Amino acid sequence: MGITVTIRTNSGVNTEPEIKTLEPILKVENVWKLYHAGKVEVPALRGVNLDVLPGEAVAVMGPSGCGKSSLLYVIGGLAKASRGKVLVDGNDLVSMTDGERTKLRRHKIGFVFQRFNLLPALSAKGNIAIAQYIHGDGFDPHRFEVVTKMLGLVGRLNHRPSEMSGGEQQRVAIARAIINEPKILLADEPTGNLDTKNSEIVLDMLRRLNKDLGQTIVMITHNPEATTYFDRVVHMRDGVIVDGIPAD
Amino acid sequence: MMGQFVVNNLFHRPVRTLIGVLAIAVEVTLVITIVGLTSGMLQETAKRIEGIGADIIVQAPSSTIFMGFSGSPMPIKIGDKIAELRYVKSVSPALLQFNTSGAVETIWGIDPVTFREVSNGFVFLEGHDLEGPDEMLVDDWQAKAKHVQPGDTYKVLNHEWKVVGIVEHGKAGRIFVPISTLQDLVGARDKATIFLVRCTRTDHTPDVMEEMKALLPNYPVRPVKEFMTLMTSTNIPALQTFINSMIALAVSIGLLVIFLSMYTTVLERTRDIGVLKSLGASKGLIVRALLAETTLLCFLGIFAGIALSYTVRAGFLKIFPTLSILITPGWMVRAALIAIIGALVGASYPAWLASRKDAVEALAYD
Repeated sequence: MGITVTIRTNSGVNTEPEIKTLEPILKVENVWKLYHAGKVEVPALRGVNLDVLPGEAVAVMGPSGCGKSSLLYVIGGLAKASRGKVLVDGNDLVSMTDGERTKLRRHKIGFVFQRFNLLPALSAKGNIAIAQYIHGDGFDPHRFEVVTKMLGLVGRLNHRPSEMSGGEQQRVAIARAIINEPKILLADEPTGNLDTKNSEIVLDMLRRLNKDLGQTIVMITHNPEATTYFDRVVHMRDGVIVDGIPAD
Repeated sequence: MMGQFVVNNLFHRPVRTLIGVLAIAVEVTLVITIVGLTSGMLQETAKRIEGIGADIIVQAPSSTIFMGFSGSPMPIKIGDKIAELRYVKSVSPALLQFNTSGAVETIWGIDPVTFREVSNGFVFLEGHDLEGPDEMLVDDWQAKAKHVQPGDTYKVLNHEWKVVGIVEHGKAGRIFVPISTLQDLVGARDKATIFLVRCTRTDHTPDVMEEMKALLPNYPVRPVKEFMTLMTSTNIPALQTFINSMIALAVSIGLLVIFLSMYTTVLERTRDIGVLKSLGASKGLIVRALLAETTLLCFLGIFAGIALSYTVRAGFLKIFPTLSILITPGWMVRAALIAIIGALVGASYPAWLASRKDAVEALAYD
């Protein structure tokens, strides 16, 4: 089922706006995620519904333990939903095998984590290039140059993570995530380990990625200021999205 | 890219890598040195037998090719009967006494006259041939090992011998004394361990052997050339088992160290594995990366092991100059293959474990 949106495609006089139907790039339908603590089932997600359009930037907010990270991992195919449907670019992750989800992740998803998660043995260049290697198309020097220039990493490419600041590391992580032009960029509290200045830089870069390149972004955050950079903010509580539900 | 990743990972923890390389090096060195020592000693012994210059060796019934262990069960009179055979030029009895007191060595009791006829005599580097009953000849390796020279006293078998000559190595044994004195010392009067036979012409050897077999039906009669092929570890009871046991021990050391090393590596890199999975790395790629790292570690260990083997050999030969350690390319390759297979087996479980890690748990790992 598509979402009907109005897109103004022609600025000419006496031209009626064209009506186009956009399919969501990400569609989450009644998704449950249950974890097992011994014999007890603990629900992390309890019937989540979410649609994200191509080129949209969505921030997911909520208190700790509300299921934000679980939602991100389910969307990214790192964890399998217990029930429901997760459609990424038309592919249902729930019905996929582990290998198929790995392949989808390789080609359509980019991750940015709170703790940067760079490979310590590799330089910044190596950390970005390994994503290209895993993607399977080999090293693309042009794309590499464009991305590293855009993120201001050109002078830091030969440095290892231990030799870089948190802000620089996160920029490398963003470069790694977008180097293969993923359909969706998933960011798990990307400013959580950064000071205010670096947070602003990273958020600004994410916004530029979205506005300039049309990158679809789903970001989890605790930072209320971060939401100002995004098109839409959804709130989660106790494993469900509560937008539209009146606050207590 | 994968190559760079593997190399960088290997050198990211240099101490861990060094320990892994050392373990493989010790494994390779053990295999090369143990095999080299046994095959070297056997080949060297065979060469010395061949170097005598005799055509045929006659031994007592039920004796082994390792003559030093065979005692002295043959009456020396047999030599006279052999000498009467057609095409026999000369016969020399020898009494071999294995000695473990003070050092492990075989003392050759010889009759200087007939031994000279059979072998064309020694090449003397110093001194002269045996003339008196308590005189001794030693070869140059033994002289170097024991720091003896003509005129020195050499005590062996609780008897003091006077060293009268240093001979070139490569003929029979390393220590030679008059057979009659040795017979008295070991209580084997008129007995011999072997008879060395020289034919009038080498091509008469088969004819002489045939006649000898008729004359001495139960006695092993062998052409000297055969000794080279017989001197292998498989012909010595339990030696091959010993070698195999030592190789198994060496492989076990390598396998366990690599297992432990890669297991701790996988634990340490849990989060990295989660990151690779988040990037879409397949299980196969993760296994390949770890096995490639192990193989590279192994190659470093193999090169270090080969270098260490030569160092150990040099050290051994400095301390024990009479030893012979044969390092052959064939066994280097075999030791390398053994090390690689052992290491890959050791790394396969940690690699499998890494590939099976849950990505979410791995990313949350501290």
